[in-house]
Amino acid sequence: MQNSNMETIDKIIFGDNQFFGINHMSQEKAQQLAEKFFDIKNIYRVYDTAFEAGIKAIMLNSNDRAKEICNHFKGNKSKYQDISWYPSIPYPHKYANLVAEKGIFPAINEVLFKDSSAFGIMGMMAKGGMAVLGKDAIKMMQMLIDVEMKMFKGLNVKVVFLQNIITDLILGYGVKEVFQEYCNHIRKKYKAAPGLITQNMPYLVEKLKEWNITGVVVCASFNKIGYLMSPNMESYIETVKNNNPEDYQLMAMSTLASGAIPAPEAYEFINRQNIQSVVFGASSKGHIEETVKLIKI
Amino acid sequence: MEDSKKIKLAIIGAGRMGITHYSIINSHPNVEIESVADPSTLVLTLMKKYLPVKTFKDYNELFEKSLPDAVLVCTPPNLHYQIIEKCARLGIHVFTEKPFTRKFEAASELNSLFSKTNLVNQVGYVNRFNDVFCKTKELVENGLIGKVIRFKSEMFSCTITKSDEGSGWRASRESGGGAVFEMASHAIDLVNFLIGKPDKVTGSLLNYIYSKNVEDAMSSAFLYKNGISGTIYVNWSDPSYRKPTNKIEIFGDGGRILADQHSLKIFLNIANEAHNLRQGWNTFYITDIFKPVPFYVRGNEFTSQLYHFIDCIQNKGVTNKCSFQDGANTLEVIDQIFNDYEQNAKF
Repeated sequence: MQNSNMETIDKIIFGDNQFFGINHMSQEKAQQLAEKFFDIKNIYRVYDTAFEAGIKAIMLNSNDRAKEICNHFKGNKSKYQDISWYPSIPYPHKYANLVAEKGIFPAINEVLFKDSSAFGIMGMMAKGGMAVLGKDAIKMMQMLIDVEMKMFKGLNVKVVFLQNIITDLILGYGVKEVFQEYCNHIRKKYKAAPGLITQNMPYLVEKLKEWNITGVVVCASFNKIGYLMSPNMESYIETVKNNNPEDYQLMAMSTLASGAIPAPEAYEFINRQNIQSVVFGASSKGHIEETVKLIKI
Repeated sequence: MEDSKKIKLAIIGAGRMGITHYSIINSHPNVEIESVADPSTLVLTLMKKYLPVKTFKDYNELFEKSLPDAVLVCTPPNLHYQIIEKCARLGIHVFTEKPFTRKFEAASELNSLFSKTNLVNQVGYVNRFNDVFCKTKELVENGLIGKVIRFKSEMFSCTITKSDEGSGWRASRESGGGAVFEMASHAIDLVNFLIGKPDKVTGSLLNYIYSKNVEDAMSSAFLYKNGISGTIYVNWSDPSYRKPTNKIEIFGDGGRILADQHSLKIFLNIANEAHNLRQGWNTFYITDIFKPVPFYVRGNEFTSQLYHFIDCIQNKGVTNKCSFQDGANTLEVIDQIFNDYEQNAKF
């Protein structure tokens, strides 16, 4: 068994999709939000509102704007000292576009070696860069994690999440070592709990159990209409019911199914489940306060 | 299912799509991925180390040493013809990534080769498996917006936003690169799927924004003998789009439909009780019409299209939703666009 002495995670975590033009239901709505948060001060204002409502934890994806946000929090350390961070990595679209343009290994090459001096990997370059590194998938993964995590250095990081597109891609391959080494690296280097975001929660938990990998935070869509819950609602309910939080702390996302379910109804359902945490995003004071009141897990 | 009865699958080309398809189809209980071919030593080394598959540098060697029941062809498009032709001779079911080939002639040849067999043949136009676009088709065919008059099919992404690329197969039309093959093919196929193949192509324009040898943006007008007409516009160098987005608008004498991968809006001139839709605007979201898939990696449609391929192999009665005929139809339109541009859009 891997180390399962996990720190208890925050019950309510403030997400970031609303800030970056992400809305799974409507691209038009996403665009409106992107316009509103073009001025980064509007993002900081919403964070302050969330803290006033009692939230003490942030999930932030390592996208282009996240670095600036991290710097803002580092620059105001005394004001934000009790905030916990739940980074999610990587920013998938950066890789998607690079890979589409250049191919997989040239894309990784660019991400890792573009700014080589910053990572002290000049030696690696001299030894043949990607040609050497490519044969060691684990080392390559660790270096990619370190590139993505750089912006969060100096913040109080509690869990490091792998984005669902990566988690689920690797899950499809069923390679135990990758998950194992990811978890080891996060625990060792970042003194944080490893987290996995997935759209296939029952299958992921089944495989993690089979591989004896515990002490992981699993974040998945969970809502009463079964949206983005593969293979189906019933297996989610079953997995959650039988879960031991000492092995896997479960965090629900997409609880409102991108706005398809009214908040009171959504959380009435969530509150009945054996879930340890909820991540949600909102941009108005009313919605934030309402959600905090509704979550009773 | 017993291992001996599983469909033995080979993946040729382990680039972005090959890698994604591997993960998705590996979750299918009736499929065993037996072999992978790719010229990259790095990719093969990693696969050999972690996965229970045979790996080959050359697909010819793959066919010599293992005989799969089905193949996923995920190479650059200029290799599709020779691989698929070989599959026809060996009696192998084929799913190929889009575009089917680079030329209509080659596409029709492959189509007629396969039409003489019982082999399943499918092209990866994934929009045909998107829940919103399927719903759109159903509604248009049911006459919800009356007689179709005009349409507009668009696709945008921020794939190419710097001018320093120029290597790789995507930067040359000979290899099947460029915004027309890579992206407009989706917008064209969506028109073929929802409206039908155009009878005439006109007004085709190509723009070079960052790429030297291939177009980054294109537009064209489609005409139909039944009076329908429409336009397509595609741009893969638009940074205002975070991820690839397909949009289609269809105007009929009874209303208008606006659809993208995630939402569907309908304006009706008069209420439609059969569909429970009111006069004026009606909005569906993907949450209203989605169907969960057994394993999710990159959107429901990517899983649905591969599971459909397997379903067609196992159940002879199932009609393929995106056959080589459909792939050839898209190529026919693409050929017409390039010809129209060469003949009419230059001074």
